[in-house]
Amino acid sequence: MTTEKAGQSAPAGSVGAEHSTGPEGSPYMEGRPGAGRSFCAKRSMGTEGSPYTDHSPGAERGAKKQKKRRADAFSSCHPAVNFVYFLVVLLTTVLMTHPVLLGISFAGALCYAGRLRGWRPVLKFNILYSIPAMILVALINPLFNHYGVTFLFYLKTGPVTVEAIVYGVVLSSMLFISILWFSCCNVVMTTDKFVYLFGRVIPALSLVLSMVFRFVPRFHAQAKIIRNGQKAVGRDAGSGNLIQRIRHSITILSVLITWALENAIDTSDSMQSRGYGLHGRTAFSIFRFDVRDGMACGVLGASMAVFLLGASQGVTTAVYNPYISIGGWPLTPAGVLCFAAWAVICFFPSVLGAVEDARFASLARKARLERHLPWYLQDPVQHGKESSAPTAG
Amino acid sequence: MHILEVEAFSFQYPEASAPALKQVDMTVEEGSFVVLCGKSGCGKSTLLRQCKSVLAPHGKRSGAIRYCGVPLDEVSHRTQSAEIGYVLQNPDNQIVTDKVWHELAFGLESLGCDTPTIRLRVAEMASYFGIQDWFMRNVSELSGGQKQLLNLASVMAMHPRLLILDEPTSQLDPIAASDFLETVRKINRDIGTTILLTEHRLEDVIPWADSLLVMDSGRMIATGTPSEIGQCLHDMGHDMFLSMPTPMQIYAGVTAQEQKAHALTCPLTVSEGRRWMQELLDAEAVQTEPHPSDVADAKERNGKPQNPSAGGTSPEEILAACGEREKGVSAAAEMPEPAGKRNPKDARGGDIPAIRVRDVWFRYDRDLPDVVRGLSMDVRRGEIFAIVGGNGTGKSTTMNLIAHIRFPYRGRIWLNGRDINKYSDDELYHGFLGVMPQNPQSLFVKKTVREDLYEMIDGKRQKKTSAYPIDMPKKEAVEGIASLTMLEDLLDRHPYDLSGGEQQRLALAKVLLLRPQILLMDEPTKGIDNYFKRDLGQILRRLTAHGVTVLMISHDVEFCAQYADRVGLFFQGNLVTSNTTRAFFAGNSFYTTAANRMARHFYPDAVTAEDVITAMNRTLAQSRGS
Repeated sequence: MTTEKAGQSAPAGSVGAEHSTGPEGSPYMEGRPGAGRSFCAKRSMGTEGSPYTDHSPGAERGAKKQKKRRADAFSSCHPAVNFVYFLVVLLTTVLMTHPVLLGISFAGALCYAGRLRGWRPVLKFNILYSIPAMILVALINPLFNHYGVTFLFYLKTGPVTVEAIVYGVVLSSMLFISILWFSCCNVVMTTDKFVYLFGRVIPALSLVLSMVFRFVPRFHAQAKIIRNGQKAVGRDAGSGNLIQRIRHSITILSVLITWALENAIDTSDSMQSRGYGLHGRTAFSIFRFDVRDGMACGVLGASMAVFLLGASQGVTTAVYNPYISIGGWPLTPAGVLCFAAWAVICFFPSVLGAVEDARFASLARKARLERHLPWYLQDPVQHGKESSAPTAG
Repeated sequence: MHILEVEAFSFQYPEASAPALKQVDMTVEEGSFVVLCGKSGCGKSTLLRQCKSVLAPHGKRSGAIRYCGVPLDEVSHRTQSAEIGYVLQNPDNQIVTDKVWHELAFGLESLGCDTPTIRLRVAEMASYFGIQDWFMRNVSELSGGQKQLLNLASVMAMHPRLLILDEPTSQLDPIAASDFLETVRKINRDIGTTILLTEHRLEDVIPWADSLLVMDSGRMIATGTPSEIGQCLHDMGHDMFLSMPTPMQIYAGVTAQEQKAHALTCPLTVSEGRRWMQELLDAEAVQTEPHPSDVADAKERNGKPQNPSAGGTSPEEILAACGEREKGVSAAAEMPEPAGKRNPKDARGGDIPAIRVRDVWFRYDRDLPDVVRGLSMDVRRGEIFAIVGGNGTGKSTTMNLIAHIRFPYRGRIWLNGRDINKYSDDELYHGFLGVMPQNPQSLFVKKTVREDLYEMIDGKRQKKTSAYPIDMPKKEAVEGIASLTMLEDLLDRHPYDLSGGEQQRLALAKVLLLRPQILLMDEPTKGIDNYFKRDLGQILRRLTAHGVTVLMISHDVEFCAQYADRVGLFFQGNLVTSNTTRAFFAGNSFYTTAANRMARHFYPDAVTAEDVITAMNRTLAQSRGS
């Protein structure tokens, strides 16, 4: 999994490799949370040495999961930008039946999903599920819908038309494009971002959500512990006859609930002792809205405005009944502008990521160039400092 | 200035017959490091909770508590929240939110700080406590030590003046615990926060304490600096000594006149203890070379650790204490005994080990590294075998393999000479293998201890079931086990209301009701104080006398040294070495008891505090005699 992903994006991968072999740590890697593999490996090795390392399988798996997450420029934008972006893209995709717009949306989603989750799983999903399903819907739709003017042939159910087939394809592709966008959204919109966004709207909700996210995995882990404990006294929920199994399961559940209630007292003590219930509680977040977020909003907002303008001109409407008529096609200037704006929106995260990759690649090149220079060609001031240090010492 | 003053304070829980706190006086100086100690159940936690209004339980109270000269009731909730920090025992239960950063900010959010302030304070605390590496993580991914450190940091983010810690390390392993206490000390030293701490790992904190308060059954019996307390308890002959650091125990045990004669102060640390021994022995003009007979004698006396009397302070004392219980126990003794009777293989000879593990490999997931690597070990019948070793070396996993909860992907395990896979669950868990989980609460089902015990043997009705195939009246069985595990007085309590040590004993009682021949225990001494450890050790001894085999995992070197027959060191998923307890600890320089570290130059074979005391008394007596 990790190898594929690192290899998949050449610039990022090479940066990581270059610097792990280099004599000194890259100054650029530090600023990039969870960037390449070498950085993550270094970090995990660092924690391994600490006395607080937990070697439980859960923690290891968690660390592994963290390692898998690649740096993504768009993910590091403000949660509001992420959220509104996905909302707009998903809504538009679902509401549109325009083939050109859907095509652009598909390409954008594919690029971004590939960047986020690795190309192989994304392509595999598309080939294995999307295309067969698309063909299926394309075949089924005309069986029940007989609108349109271009008759191909007749079946017992009625005439099969080109319009119905095309509409079936459009419909199913819309579905799969939305799924693709959702999969991206899933990776980008982590729980803490949701907690933060909804906390803005209803402050109490952010704490409740946060507590729920804390409690659920804990409950789950404790259930496992209790189950093992009960198994070791001969009360496994998975053995014995049906009545015994049910009884043992109920026992485990009752232990779990008692445990949860008893320990919740501690939690409430801890909350109260840290001033919970005082008047005027604020909600803290680690996210800040910076200039880049503003710029992203500007670009996306402007594109959306152009797109909506085009939509008001009817460029984005496509009709399949009774005959196929696609807005802005054959290409009109308004159509080109509108499609371009939509393309800017759809490819925005991928382009943002690609730009960042390119920037890192060029920085790495720069660093490499300097390092490989012979000493007599290096910046004299810098070199002087380096060489004078040992003599002075 | 007194940051906290408690004056003639008494407290009684509603519906309790006796007060929990009686006329307690306590003063805490601003900026000092105060350690409160006492047996569990002596009212330490009750007292600490009274020092913060929101945590104070309901009940009848009299006397006064003043915070900075102001009666505590008049100090607002806001001030108390910010200025009196409180860290509780269980690291998991105190964490409220799912992210480390959110948890750090929780208190500041409550106080209504604005985002820039919170950002600054959180950043400051994360840097100070070294949290920045796991700042963005989910709380569930942290280890116990990290969680407790997070709790401390999130309290410290509110900049308290007084920090109260109620047994903060009882759920941690020794390394994480001493790191945590080190951090607490650093806070006291660097930031000047006043620390009020209860702790059962006293050896780590006593050397730093400015003052030590000793409580016993709701009263404050002694206050002063640690060495004053050492002297004081020594003179009082109080059994609080058991929980004092080993050097203080040895100081107390060595014949009184010697000390008075030389007026040496009570040693607090191993190095001070060594110096003290040196001075004492020099002053008595004996060669530092021990008399060969001394060591031999000491060996002989403690060479057979199966002898239940080897464990306590003085054998007579313990025997007397046991004698009282022995009447009740005679019935209980029947309980574990059938284990021996029902095992015909016993007759074939003792050479079949109770547990035999050969070349066992295990990993949690195909892609994860091996946790247990080619482990081979034997546990003999009727012995207490202890596994010690660092965190994450695969000790608990090994326990799960032997308990047939996890399964190795290579290698075999035999129990009593039979492959573990050939046992059915029923054969294995009823009357053969007893497993004490690390968390005793995972066994508690009912509302009272009594019901919980009956639940284990399928209810009160006299009926043979797979869990209870014997004829003995159930009442007798439960009573016997209750007296063996010293639970008689607690039978009507709710299991969750028991203290850590009592919960541990209840869990043990429940497991014992299934009459195991092999008992597996994961960290049996976690979170219990030295008195309960002594009780537990004696229970284990008595069980082995009835032919039960005990395999335990422990971080508690002192406990293993005192009660185990053999000890093995676990490292990297394998047993590096195993040996008889004495040989094992005498040969190690780090993984050994404080007594051994202190006395190894004089008595290399002495492992427990008693060994050292006996050997020293003998040497001193001889030098006096000659």
